[in-house]
Amino acid sequence: MKRRRRRSALSYLGWSVAWLAAALVLFGLFDLLVSVVWHGVRSFHFGMLFTPTQGVAGGLENALLGTFELVLIAVVFAAPLGILGGVYTSEFAGRRMAAAIRFLAEVLSGVPSIVIGYFGYLLLVLQFHWGFSALAGGIALTLIMLPYILRTTDTSLQQVPHLQREAAWALGMTRSQAIAKAIWRPAAGGIATGLLLAIAIGLGETAPLLYTAGWNANNPSLQLTHAQVGYLTYVAYTYLDQPYQAARNLAYAAAFVLLVVILIIQLLVRGLVWRTTNRLQGRH
Amino acid sequence: MRNVSRTAKAADHVFRVVAGFCASSPAVFLLLIAGIVLYQSLPVMHFMGWQFVTHTRWDLGNLYGAMVKKNGVTAPVGASYGGLVFIVGTLLSSAIALVIAVPISILTAVILAYRVRGAIAWILSILVELLAGIPSVVIGLWGILVLVPWVSASLAPFLKSVLGFIPFFGGQVGSGYGLLASGIVLAMMIVPIITATARDLLLQVPLLAREGGLGVGMTTWEVVRYISLPYVRDGLIGAIALGWGRAMGETMAVLMVSGNAMNILPSNLYSPISTMAAFIADQLDSAQTDASGMAVHALSELALVLLVITLATNLLARWLVRPRLGRKKAGVAS
Amino acid sequence: MKLHHTKWFAGAAVFSAWIAVSGCGTTATNNSSNITTKSVENTAANQSAAKTTATVSLSETGSSLLYPLFNTEWIPAYHKVQPSVQITAASTGSGTGISDATAGTVDIGASDAYMADAQMAQTPGMLNIPVAISAQQVMYNLPGVKGHIHLNGAVLAQIYEGKVTYWDDKNIRALNPGVSLPHQLIKPVYRSDGSGDTFLFTQYLSHASANWSQQYGYGTSISWPGLATAIGAKGNDGVVAALSKTKYSVGYVGISWLDKAVQAGLAYAALQNRAGQYVLPTTSNIQAAAAAVKQVPSDERVSLIDEPGADSYPIINFEYLIVKKTQPSASTAHALQGFLKWAIDPAKGNAATFLTPVHFLPLPANIFTKSQAQIAQITG
Repeated sequence: MKRRRRRSALSYLGWSVAWLAAALVLFGLFDLLVSVVWHGVRSFHFGMLFTPTQGVAGGLENALLGTFELVLIAVVFAAPLGILGGVYTSEFAGRRMAAAIRFLAEVLSGVPSIVIGYFGYLLLVLQFHWGFSALAGGIALTLIMLPYILRTTDTSLQQVPHLQREAAWALGMTRSQAIAKAIWRPAAGGIATGLLLAIAIGLGETAPLLYTAGWNANNPSLQLTHAQVGYLTYVAYTYLDQPYQAARNLAYAAAFVLLVVILIIQLLVRGLVWRTTNRLQGRH
Repeated sequence: MRNVSRTAKAADHVFRVVAGFCASSPAVFLLLIAGIVLYQSLPVMHFMGWQFVTHTRWDLGNLYGAMVKKNGVTAPVGASYGGLVFIVGTLLSSAIALVIAVPISILTAVILAYRVRGAIAWILSILVELLAGIPSVVIGLWGILVLVPWVSASLAPFLKSVLGFIPFFGGQVGSGYGLLASGIVLAMMIVPIITATARDLLLQVPLLAREGGLGVGMTTWEVVRYISLPYVRDGLIGAIALGWGRAMGETMAVLMVSGNAMNILPSNLYSPISTMAAFIADQLDSAQTDASGMAVHALSELALVLLVITLATNLLARWLVRPRLGRKKAGVAS
Repeated sequence: MKLHHTKWFAGAAVFSAWIAVSGCGTTATNNSSNITTKSVENTAANQSAAKTTATVSLSETGSSLLYPLFNTEWIPAYHKVQPSVQITAASTGSGTGISDATAGTVDIGASDAYMADAQMAQTPGMLNIPVAISAQQVMYNLPGVKGHIHLNGAVLAQIYEGKVTYWDDKNIRALNPGVSLPHQLIKPVYRSDGSGDTFLFTQYLSHASANWSQQYGYGTSISWPGLATAIGAKGNDGVVAALSKTKYSVGYVGISWLDKAVQAGLAYAALQNRAGQYVLPTTSNIQAAAAAVKQVPSDERVSLIDEPGADSYPIINFEYLIVKKTQPSASTAHALQGFLKWAIDPAKGNAATFLTPVHFLPLPANIFTKSQAQIAQITG
């Protein structure tokens, strides 16, 4: 009797500690969100979106446009490479080859982002003499985003029932026709999700850009090399350490804008996932 | 049924080749990264030898003085590239992150897997994944605004007064920037990784096994403790190794709260440190100032060491996760 | 979704692969558009038009010591004189200023330190043009201590080496009889980025301490002694922020930040000069030191630390603008020359209205001629 009571007390204690741990994680998250949003809302005003940085103050227009340009360049490279690579892994590669590609993509995603940035510096900025530039930064981001896009494309295609492929082949389509006309449809939601998540990751990166994109207080030009570009995470990182309230406000605002954009993308992704799973379930 | 035309066949072939080329890009990029970083660190390898990983003095030398030649490499007078401080900082801060994050993540995963259901489970899981999506510079900002003042005013003095008799916990409390703050920030960043994987693993424990435990009179907690957790042990260790690799490679958040120590090994939990990743990010200026180019090569070797260590832990993690988890991980968003 | 066009797909992939592989090729094509000649709006659409209009844009990065003068005084003033020249400035530290200027990513690199011989050899054709005289003060956060405490190079070296660790150390008390100093750990603040201020400060320490000179030397970034109490900060702005946040800290700050730092509650020390006197960085003391400068080579790369004279303030320096002798185009060269001439002119850029707010001094007449001669060497 006594032993049983002790055991149930231990069980109670175990669960309490587990709940406490979960509460701690949630508390950390909320504390983070609240303090960033609190500082952000007080420093942010809409004029910032249309003014470039001036000295220690001004706005975020140059950083916003620069972030947009860098991520756009990265998407232009990473989306075709990742999606086609994922298609190949799922649809063409043999079992062994597919396992090898998945493995290598995961290894690439495990390379620290600063190493990718420094690699970009050594090869693109120094060796190719591009200087700090949009193209160098964009390619560094490509390396970050590529494995995510490849893996999500691969997994979404893997979830398409084999029957659909056979049906398409039976109609006399080649493999690529089957992919282009039929198989991509049910996987599109998953692929879009992967792309969006990769964009969210790209938006929030700093380390790969420090050594490749540089910084620019002017709005970005369309020049791909030899012109430095500003980006949001740089403002959040650099302007925080300055003795002016205006500079710190800019840093808070940059972090706030970043957080809002990334949260919107995350919610969009949830919506997409929710819709596609609903649709799939509806069909069964 | 219609015949496959010749053009369609050719298009199919072209598509396959192009897609195959794209699929090979991760391998190409990996080789390129490893190759370039290795090649650029050769001069410093000649110059320093193994002292690169055993010495604590990082000195670009007198950039306004003459050059010296050592082992066939020209460098500024007095130059010495010893990366031990940063290697130790990386290992220690990530170890502290694991000490904090592992129990919290596993317990949270237990709750997510077994205690909440339906909409609440969904929302909680999303919140945890949200934490994974927050940019590290924003976490660093939180670290400076909230964490560092709290560490220096409350946590560090508290730990010192309670555990001060243990050598590593005593001594100077410092400014709040340092090992402890770095460890906590890193823990924030790896908790979602370990939690998500652990939750997926725990959900895969067969219901039968768990019910069997209840059937023989175990309490619900004992089922978790003696059946579920041992069942997923290998996978959990893999998830932890994965989080460890991530923690060692993390840059910005650590850079912002580490205190940027140089030429000194941490003497206690509150000492300023620097990690390999943070130091590389911090040394952009000096890399540009050294006309001999040796600073660039030295940072390159630091990147190489970091690459090797993180890849090794990653490979270990994959190897551990592989057998049981297989390819069953379905969720796209995880 | 754009996925159903196989051709588009393949085309995009091949294109991206081509760019990724033949990276060097794009350099050549992109390079032809002029990096420095930008339109006022700085948008690429107007970039081709920029060459036909007379508007020239000059960019500056570098010294955070020169930045307040450059950004808040010179740029607005020069814009009135020459509206067709658009100048932008950024405070990045002298190290970045030098490397940006030598790499050609900016037109003007600002630096408190002249370029090292090795750098000059590596990138020939660079000019180091002094445009003003500046100084540096040692600042501290000592609540309750009034006035200016006395410090010298030897004691400062011991503080940064970790040999003097408390404010009431006997070596500090010996310089400050009658001042009650707290028994608190000293927290030395240093610049973690490449900085002309580090160059000046470590030169001062090297002059006073043989041990410092041997062990650490001087430079824009040096290998600081490992101290658990030391704090690294970026830029003069960062140092001021760190000092005001951290009680019982000490650090070195460029004179253009003096007013900001004093507002932030910091005090500055009287430093011992070569004659053994303790002097403050007042205008007359800086002037005395500047007047003592005798030998200046024609390329004007020279240290002004520890000039002789009873009133001479020990840490003064030239503020350099570092530019390429050969500019990419005649219009840039012309705009640059115009601006530099204006900047060093005692009646214009070097007038007291601009320099006094940042505590800089105009170039002495003999230096002015030398700078003028260097500016004349710029060609397009």
